[in-house]
Amino acid sequence: MTTAIETVPPVDVKGLTRVEERRVTGPAVLSNLVLGGIALLFALPLLWLVLASVDKHASWSIAIPHFTLSNFGSSLADGRGSSLVASLELAAIATVVGTVTGTLAAYAFSRRHIPWKGPALLFVLLLSAVPINVIIIPVYQIFSQAGWLSLIPTAIFLGITGLPFEIWMIKNFIDAVPTELEEAARVENVGTLRIIGRIVVPLAAPGIGAAAIYGFVNAWGAFLIPLVLISNTAQQPAAITVYSFISAAEVNYGGIAAFSILYSLPVLGLYLVMGRWFRGGFVLGGALK
Amino acid sequence: MTSDALTAAPPQGRRLDKRRFEWNTSLLLLPAGILIAAVFVYAVGYSFYIGLTNLSLLGPTAVVYHFTGAANLSRLVHDTFFLHSLWVTFLFVFGSGVVGATVIGLALALLMQKALAPIRLAAAAVAMIAFMLPPVTIAVVWYAASVPQGTFARLFGNPNSDPLFSAPLLFVSLANMWSLVGLAMLLFVAALRNVPSDITEAARLERAGAIRRFTSVTLPLLKPTIVTSALLMTLLSLANFTIVWLMTGGGPGTATSILPVYSYQQGFQFYHLAYGALLGNVMLILTAIFGVGYVKMARGKRQKGGSS
Repeated sequence: MTTAIETVPPVDVKGLTRVEERRVTGPAVLSNLVLGGIALLFALPLLWLVLASVDKHASWSIAIPHFTLSNFGSSLADGRGSSLVASLELAAIATVVGTVTGTLAAYAFSRRHIPWKGPALLFVLLLSAVPINVIIIPVYQIFSQAGWLSLIPTAIFLGITGLPFEIWMIKNFIDAVPTELEEAARVENVGTLRIIGRIVVPLAAPGIGAAAIYGFVNAWGAFLIPLVLISNTAQQPAAITVYSFISAAEVNYGGIAAFSILYSLPVLGLYLVMGRWFRGGFVLGGALK
Repeated sequence: MTSDALTAAPPQGRRLDKRRFEWNTSLLLLPAGILIAAVFVYAVGYSFYIGLTNLSLLGPTAVVYHFTGAANLSRLVHDTFFLHSLWVTFLFVFGSGVVGATVIGLALALLMQKALAPIRLAAAAVAMIAFMLPPVTIAVVWYAASVPQGTFARLFGNPNSDPLFSAPLLFVSLANMWSLVGLAMLLFVAALRNVPSDITEAARLERAGAIRRFTSVTLPLLKPTIVTSALLMTLLSLANFTIVWLMTGGGPGTATSILPVYSYQQGFQFYHLAYGALLGNVMLILTAIFGVGYVKMARGKRQKGGSS
């Protein structure tokens, strides 16, 4: 147990073991009621999202829907469909930038002797806490002077914003991979890049995949950075489309709900995929490890 | 200890057990190093420089700007909106992150210990979905819930009331809390599993009541997790811009103008890029303070774990 934030092992909610016998007692009933109440309150904002998305006469209120799927179609009109494609491009480029450079650096941190390795790693962890939104002004100034106010430079920037945390994540997964295979390969004079590509990456695949998903979600969810850094409205991603959708003169309630669902589903889907890799455990279990 | 041992290298081949800096290690670190330096060293450094100039978004000083020394700093200390913004930021971060998310996350984790499986799974699923959703979607559902005719207006009995207008800071804080509780809950579920059951069992045999067992046994054991959670929630709430900006735009008036929002407004709405950057730098310094605390906690745990 040498890794840092060890507080979050993958949590299997189903697997919580019950030591004591189940008895119907006052406190048990009360705690179930309170928990159910909190869950219900927490579910209310989501309930509106789901009901309004399939309601022909949607409003801000929670109501039994007049069922329709047309909101999903209309939510993609006026170029909003292509903003989802822009989101995909943005997130894909950011993921590749973060994961490839992150894997190389994480391998070096895990396996090689590096002077001041401990402080360097803590510095990387500290960088992952930097709220990137607050340096938008200098970044805007750099981008505008260099003529970079477009999708690809912005995607690369978003990739870098996720990089410190990805290095940290991948390093902890590579640490858990046994070194015997690599040592054997080194004796055979196999090059470092081939060792990483053929041995380390396949063995640490769930961790690298989790880091890639983190990078993707980080870029997909970004709002302020693409808002400021992508000057061409045709290239702007779905996060910003939601914003213009909600501030339109005539509010299309059902369309907003439907589009928000379409925009959120990839993120929820990726988290579920990651959950399966860790056998029901959760992402950040691996992530914060 | 072993790494710098001055043993003579065998003439043929290298010893694999000897730790020394290999030349290609720097090649592995180079791509990530350049990218990180560009953003976290160059751009952050540039931010501190811009903060002390008269750079603006439009007009002559957008092109030709110069160093103005402490002029922006003296503006900052006399800026009552800045003090107000700092206070709003504190209320937002402390209320939604430190107190709200941590306390409710802990409460959920505790309640889940005794709960029936379906209720436990439903609560966990809702909290986790809220945590996973992109910030923009969180802003949309909370905006929908807190405007007139929305869920909360109806829940409070007057559909035409406007909760987001009458209590803006409360509702943006609730939205932020809602999005963070899942993470806090995960931290506490994991920590509670590490509370040895023989200790609570011993307390039970000593006829300690449920409340006494919680305050005297469980809570002290959870203290490091509570501190970790509070720091993590502080960092995540400080980084928040999207939820507040989309729900209220910092308003009505300046009621929800937390520092990231105020910085954005100064930079891109009032064209004072330099002053906006300076406000961003204040955020960077605040984050660094809490971030160092968080890293210290993480390292403390690692050392403790390593020795056991």
